[in-house]
Amino acid sequence: MNANEINKTLVNIDAETDPTLKHLMLASLVTAVFQDQNIELVVVGGSAIEFYTEGAYVSGDVDLCVASTPTPLTGRIRQELMGRLNATGGPRSWQVAGLFVDVLGGFENLATTPIRRLKGPSGEVQLSPVEELIVERVLISTYPRDYPPARDCAKKLLAVALQGEVETDWNEVRRLACSSAYDNWNDVQQLTDEQAQSLEIRSPYDSDE
Amino acid sequence: MNEPMEWEDWLRGRRARRETGLRVAPEVIRRPESSKDHRLRKLFNGERGLPFKKTEEL
Repeated sequence: MNANEINKTLVNIDAETDPTLKHLMLASLVTAVFQDQNIELVVVGGSAIEFYTEGAYVSGDVDLCVASTPTPLTGRIRQELMGRLNATGGPRSWQVAGLFVDVLGGFENLATTPIRRLKGPSGEVQLSPVEELIVERVLISTYPRDYPPARDCAKKLLAVALQGEVETDWNEVRRLACSSAYDNWNDVQQLTDEQAQSLEIRSPYDSDE
Repeated sequence: MNEPMEWEDWLRGRRARRETGLRVAPEVIRRPESSKDHRLRKLFNGERGLPFKKTEEL
């Protein structure tokens, strides 16, 4: 993207008042600018969940991690790339077009399912696999102690997955939940079954019983 | 799963996804606090982000 295109896009993002759209437009732009240098970013955490669920969960920041980079992503490169977006701050968090953007470290992902892609207005946005987000959010909702906001988030994520609004590999959800990295299969299964019951549909784990 | 979601499809599905979530949890579930509160509340006039669109406006 050239400077003129970037500036036009930034004006549009700055004017956008819908937080979910604003996040997605900005994630798409940041991804495109990094992609120009063959650096692959992935949206993680609450922003990824918001894009999957429309769950009214996200706050005022977009979190991205580095999926791959041909050379170490130094502070100089980060500042140079974010500088193209008229960003202020750094070296891992910047203010851009009325939001905060955090470009964190390497993408930690245990899912064998693909990173999902969404064609955003400035280019493709990559999203953390929904299977790991489900298992991770259920874990946060119960450990180290009950955390109701994470539980509501997990419930909405499970609901859109159960309804088929987000394509989900339920075997992978179970594999991750049973792995030592999460070890929360009972919680995941129970919450999945509860949401299926609320939606009056069959749980993918019904046959397990 | 391997194919990218189209922007138009994602936009069209917003309301349906919101309504599905409403069947299992409250409409707005933004965390009440986080380690980033200071900077967020400073930027968003005491809030942690912009207000969400109402479901019927999606």
